[in-house]
Amino acid sequence: MNRLRFWCLAPATTLLAVLFLVPILIIAAYSLLSRGPYGGVMPPWTLENYTRLADPLYLSILWRTSLYSLAATAVCLLAGFPLAWFISRSGPRKSLFLALVIVPFWTSFLVRTYAWMFLLRDTGLINSTLQSLGLIHQPLPLLYTPFAVIVGLVYGYLPFMILPIYATLEKLDPSLLEASADLGARPITTMFQIVIPLARPGMLAGGVLVFISCLGAYLTPDLLGGGKTIMIGNLVQNQFTAARDWPFGAALSLLLMAVVMAMLMPVLRREKDGLL
Amino acid sequence: MSRWLSLYAVAAYAFLHLPLAVLAVFSFNSSRVTAWESFSFTWYRAAFTDPQLSEATVNSFLIGAAATILATAIGTLCAYALWKRGSLPITSTLYLSMVTPEIVLGIALLALYQWMFRYLGLQLGLHTVILAHVMFCTAYVVTVVAARLRSIDASLEEAALDLGATDWQAFHRVTLPQLVPAIVSAALLVFITSFDDFVITSLVAGVDSETLPMVIYAMARKGFNPAVNAISTMIVLGLGVLILLSSRLERKP
Amino acid sequence: MNRRLFLMGLAGLAGCTRNTTARLNVFNWSEYVAPETIPGFEREFNVRVRYGVYESAEEMLARLMSGNSGWDVVFPPNYFIQPMVQLGLLASLDHSQLDHLNTLDPRFRKPHWDPDLRYGIPYMWGATGILHQSNIQPPFHAWADLWAPRVRNRITMLDDPSEVLGASLKSLGFSLNSQNPAELARAKDHAALQKPLLRAYVNEIVRDQLVAGELMAAQVWRSTAMRAIESAGPRLTFVYPREGYPLYADSIAVLKESKRRTIAHAFINYLTRPKVAARVSEVKLESTCNALARALLPATLRDHPVLYPDDATLDRGEWFAPLSGEAQKLRDRLWTEIKSS
Repeated sequence: MNRLRFWCLAPATTLLAVLFLVPILIIAAYSLLSRGPYGGVMPPWTLENYTRLADPLYLSILWRTSLYSLAATAVCLLAGFPLAWFISRSGPRKSLFLALVIVPFWTSFLVRTYAWMFLLRDTGLINSTLQSLGLIHQPLPLLYTPFAVIVGLVYGYLPFMILPIYATLEKLDPSLLEASADLGARPITTMFQIVIPLARPGMLAGGVLVFISCLGAYLTPDLLGGGKTIMIGNLVQNQFTAARDWPFGAALSLLLMAVVMAMLMPVLRREKDGLL
Repeated sequence: MSRWLSLYAVAAYAFLHLPLAVLAVFSFNSSRVTAWESFSFTWYRAAFTDPQLSEATVNSFLIGAAATILATAIGTLCAYALWKRGSLPITSTLYLSMVTPEIVLGIALLALYQWMFRYLGLQLGLHTVILAHVMFCTAYVVTVVAARLRSIDASLEEAALDLGATDWQAFHRVTLPQLVPAIVSAALLVFITSFDDFVITSLVAGVDSETLPMVIYAMARKGFNPAVNAISTMIVLGLGVLILLSSRLERKP
Repeated sequence: MNRRLFLMGLAGLAGCTRNTTARLNVFNWSEYVAPETIPGFEREFNVRVRYGVYESAEEMLARLMSGNSGWDVVFPPNYFIQPMVQLGLLASLDHSQLDHLNTLDPRFRKPHWDPDLRYGIPYMWGATGILHQSNIQPPFHAWADLWAPRVRNRITMLDDPSEVLGASLKSLGFSLNSQNPAELARAKDHAALQKPLLRAYVNEIVRDQLVAGELMAAQVWRSTAMRAIESAGPRLTFVYPREGYPLYADSIAVLKESKRRTIAHAFINYLTRPKVAARVSEVKLESTCNALARALLPATLRDHPVLYPDDATLDRGEWFAPLSGEAQKLRDRLWTEIKSS
């Protein structure tokens, strides 16, 4: 058995070691070097990039990023749970309804974000519809607001919430619901006493997936937020592009990865099998 | 089922599909500006006759196909081995590879390639993009296949071994067939992820490896471009057919 | 399908993209040539050209920095030439293989960033200014007008630190390329003061919003402005701000790593032919650095006041210059402060 296991693991471990661990070690080394004048890195070795992380400016960006991500995760949970419930109860057409959740995500993320710019702008579909219905006279400022950023994040990552919740709801034994109804519980009571507690693992997994994805987002705040707020993803991106400060970018990335892992750990420990 | 829930589902699906439907509708607009003028195939013609687009499409399919085959094979074997006996270092590395921001992976891989290639006399190209995609897609395959493995009865393999099957036969004849639906959906996930990736690809791409998202990105940055809408519409329809076929496949026992 | 057959098909597809004719790999901004430019060169010289694109000069540099990228010809902006020379990325050009240097506009024969044209031949040049709705009274003249209360929520600035800090520095009377911490700090405060008035920090995408009349004015790259004016006509007006404004030029350069120097020079030669350069300038609505090419343009473009402003206007412009590492670091911090204020 052990030989087969060894040969099954060999390709994956080689791949991860050469193309993931070594590059991450390179990034870790970069984070300890100094900024080259035109990008890249050069000696001397220094801890300066890490001391810079403690700057209130960067901490406030991390804080704001967490708030946005939390808001988007909450909206995803509230919006995603009923839909997952609907799909899991929809009988033979389940796989069609599930596919309909996934289909929009084959369009490139950029194009999906542009679709929202198209809807939210002053002369966009939403404003022009409201205006022609006579509900408003001036276009509502929708695009380039925190609202637009949250909408974009929710739209971008909603399936990450729906799919795991659906997976747990589908495994739910229907006889539990029947028993609850037979014992005289109202549907709402059944929902809160039975369904939601049993769907907890899915909600947790979905929440973590959405939150993590939001933490790293940078196109959404740029395009839908009009670049007026920055999230940690923009800061990282900017270090590797316009600012050409690779060492600081590397330190920021490691911080971001550490935050994400720290969040993931309790969830993994709680779920015996984890997501894997 | 309560009527409210159905109503909500309609609204939720509208939220998911309306933005893209609007994009699709406007891909048939004759004018470049955002107001509707008249129905036309201008932008589809533009998309089809652009040599850069067709080359990028071929590249994207090549990369997607190669990455799908490799990542699915490697990931499935890995999931199987971890199912036999878990390994904390490998599992955590897989997690780590999933949560690392794309820009960081891209820069890190670029740095690695540049260092290695300087001594080997190699250049960036299709192969470097494929390797990068295999790397970040393998973890997804492991996740999907492992989820399926957990619901499989391990005693079946043991029975096969007791009856004299070799390890390989037990895997190949008993477990693998049960994994087919999971492997298919994992492969699909890899293909879609690879086909859509922009950040990492644009960093490790070389002379001959421009992909569709790179071209779309360059076009879309300049503003609303109905040709981009046309390409996106075709991609959604094309991949839609693909998933319908695969879901047919999955439903078979 | 049979698995082996499928793999063979894949190999066949891969084979299609290989070709035996000579080739040249050109790395450029997206859509920075006319549609027929490259096919014309391929036909005439029996060469296959690979045209790859980058979206920012920084991206270009990151991918070329190792010196084994595979590209031959690249189009760096003027303020990237010296850094790239110092990194050992650019090859010296052989002027004996270039026939059209005498067609260059006199202003680009001895540019201060590369006085002997050793590393790059100026291709096209651009500027940053203000594009506004023509019916706005009083019209916009200066960067300072973008700080007036009337513009609240109806303007945008570029999402680019050197442009936003640049406009701020200029309206305070400092140099665009200031590396002085005190001046930069004042520029940052000034930009932060403007932020509540802004709709957004956006780049080329602003074109549609100006054309649709959603905005009163915006800080724009001139190429974006020309595209907007192309679709909106006289409804939009571009101005070169009174306090001064940024100028930049892209050059055609050959990479040191290139092993196809001869054909690369032939390509530069081709692009500097007045007829070819004129066509590119006409299609891309950008100002050519080639005087003879300009003469070949249709009259509306040749004497276009925005593409070729008068000398007094030109003298107000300031070329972007490379900055020291320290100054860049400081500017990035200030930019982050503006963005999160």
